[in-house]
Amino acid sequence: MSFRRLAVLLRRETLATLRDPFTVTILVLVPLVALMLFGTILSTKVSELGLGVIDASRSASSRRLVAELEAQGAFVARELATRADMDRAMLAGEIGAGLVVPPDFERRLRAFERGGPPPEIRVVYDGGEVVLAGNAEAFLAGLATATGLALRASDGAAAAGALEAGASASGVAVRTTALFNPSLDGTPYMVSGTFGFVLSFATTLIIAVSIVNERFSGTFEQLQVTPATSVEILLGKILPLGAVFSADVVLMILLAGFLLGVWPVGSALFFIAISTVYLLVSLSMGVIFSATSKSAAEAVSKTVLASQPLILLSGFAVPASNMPLPFRWVSELIPATHYIRVSRAIYLRGEGPIVLFPEILIILLMGGALATIALRAIARRQ
Amino acid sequence: MKAGRVRRFVANVLAIAYKEASLLRHDSTVVQNVVIQPVILLIVMGFALRFTPQDVRWAVVDRSDTPASRRLVEEIQTSGYFAPVRHLRSYGEAHELLGRGKLVAVVVIPDEFRRAAALGRPEVQLLLNGTDPLTAARVAGYVTQIASRFRAESEPADRARKGEPASGGPGRAPPIELREEFRYNATLRDRNFYMSALAGFLLTNICLAQAALGLVAERESGTYEQMLAQPATPLQIILGKLLPTVAASYVALTIGVIGAGLMHGYWPRGNVLLFYAATLPFILATLAIGTFVSALARTSAQAVFIAVFFIMPSFVLSGSMLPYALMPHGVREVGALFPLRWYQILSRRIIERGAGPAEVLVPVLVLVTIFLAMLVAIRWRMKPRLG
Repeated sequence: MSFRRLAVLLRRETLATLRDPFTVTILVLVPLVALMLFGTILSTKVSELGLGVIDASRSASSRRLVAELEAQGAFVARELATRADMDRAMLAGEIGAGLVVPPDFERRLRAFERGGPPPEIRVVYDGGEVVLAGNAEAFLAGLATATGLALRASDGAAAAGALEAGASASGVAVRTTALFNPSLDGTPYMVSGTFGFVLSFATTLIIAVSIVNERFSGTFEQLQVTPATSVEILLGKILPLGAVFSADVVLMILLAGFLLGVWPVGSALFFIAISTVYLLVSLSMGVIFSATSKSAAEAVSKTVLASQPLILLSGFAVPASNMPLPFRWVSELIPATHYIRVSRAIYLRGEGPIVLFPEILIILLMGGALATIALRAIARRQ
Repeated sequence: MKAGRVRRFVANVLAIAYKEASLLRHDSTVVQNVVIQPVILLIVMGFALRFTPQDVRWAVVDRSDTPASRRLVEEIQTSGYFAPVRHLRSYGEAHELLGRGKLVAVVVIPDEFRRAAALGRPEVQLLLNGTDPLTAARVAGYVTQIASRFRAESEPADRARKGEPASGGPGRAPPIELREEFRYNATLRDRNFYMSALAGFLLTNICLAQAALGLVAERESGTYEQMLAQPATPLQIILGKLLPTVAASYVALTIGVIGAGLMHGYWPRGNVLLFYAATLPFILATLAIGTFVSALARTSAQAVFIAVFFIMPSFVLSGSMLPYALMPHGVREVGALFPLRWYQILSRRIIERGAGPAEVLVPVLVLVTIFLAMLVAIRWRMKPRLG
């Protein structure tokens, strides 16, 4: 291996990458758009969900219950006349949940104070939107309990006793504290995952297309007839693109910080170092995809076909810990899973190299293995 | 005269379609897209992706260590969401394990738990790992629900003997009983959420990739000029090029529908013919966007880049992967610009809820509008090059 030759290759590749305005646009635009879009979409809250209400009770208590539900901004109530109306509204997607207050609601609320059974409300959720239904269920259950207590408390006579009873009415109270992210805000989670998305997807695509294009225009053959060895050619491809993407990681950290207010809790330098190691993985994958394809279209098609399930299984959008067991093993075999885990650990919990050592070792091993395969793939072409 | 022109138009389109179809048949990437992709997505989306937490790693710091506290732990454990419980000695240990991501939740039961229960105010603390907010919120919901039903002080057998009702009466039950019902998906299976949107994922991939590469690849290999020399108008060329892709899309769609049925027992609840008919405007709109990209791009690499970075956000922002109602305003409206948003709405309505034509009219009209707008844009973009 000659360092002089390598230096020439590095210079050539860097110039070629930065000279193409389209690649530079991709390098800036993709992280920016990915951060802005993915960063804001995950939320555990319910807001402005359509709530159909059939109020057969038409009493002060039932109206207050609905008003309370609406006051939190979670639901937008809509008065409906019959169950058929409710079914139709749900089918047409106008409401995500429905509330049926029976005619005897107020009577039973009063009877409940004298020791009778509690009043019943029927709640219908649109199970087609599983996440929404789950969130709305938790929210409605909590709110109905609180509102029910408040309704009784405001009933004057029973007020004092009801509040006392209310405390034990809800069994064991749970005081919840969420560490590392007290408001359960989705933005830091998605931002730290977006690094994995951009570094796995964009990098692999850019290098795959760049190599195939060179082969298309014949410059790759020219490279191969120069005295440069395949190791030098590989390094000449990977190192400059790696450097460019490391700069991209810095750009993403700054964008996430200034635009979304998400800064890493842990060391940013450590994070950039790990990201650079991970780039070896994605870039090697790109080399492999391009070496085994005949056209740019095929390389891209392969990359996209392979990347989509990989990204889905890596825990970027849907937590990997929720998967059934065999898929969790598959997920462990995907480099992006480990990188995203490390990225979240540094970004959200501020962990250091010692705790993360096993994950980093796995990324290094995978990177080494993929780079070896990539080298073979290039050598075979000669 | 008029009939002759129509016949010539159709004949031209079909001739180009025939040529394109025979090209596609020999293209291995198309086979991958149309056959392998549905199978991969059916497996991944049907079996792997879950919003519901499974085997949640949790621990207990039980400072009270009474029968009541042990019963509470047991009840949380048997809810089915949790992995076997770990017992921790101290708060510090809990914090450390949460910090290293080894645990998702820790329940701390205070030493005065029993005394508080006797007074009617039992309380426990739940420490959550907020790193993954979706899971954390769900776990908090489970624990809160189990705890709210838990009677720390009661001895059910005792009360039954005394002839008292097990629940009921102030202080025994929540003040309002919720009778819950989940329509269309009674057990809230996450799989249904993905399966009812599967078609959107498949068709976006196929249509965008094919259409985006269509014109640009011809231009690169120099056959674009040859094509223009043919006695066919640009409109005929585009239609002819897109026709085989429409056919390929329906093949993939059929594989998706039948695969979901055979693999997951998930058959469409609504009319399949209506679903297939309503799919056409989506295919056309997506193909039109792909063609526009193709007309914009200078190389096939660029075309594919633009297509890919259109595909990913459209998956996420359309509501196919996560419900769009959870997204903040602004992002939600951006998502409405993607055809996939409207297609996933109509596909969920027909497949999951069994909706009829009236309920999907609005999304279909929006898709047709997007298609027409893109046609105008393509026409505007292609003119100077063909002049």
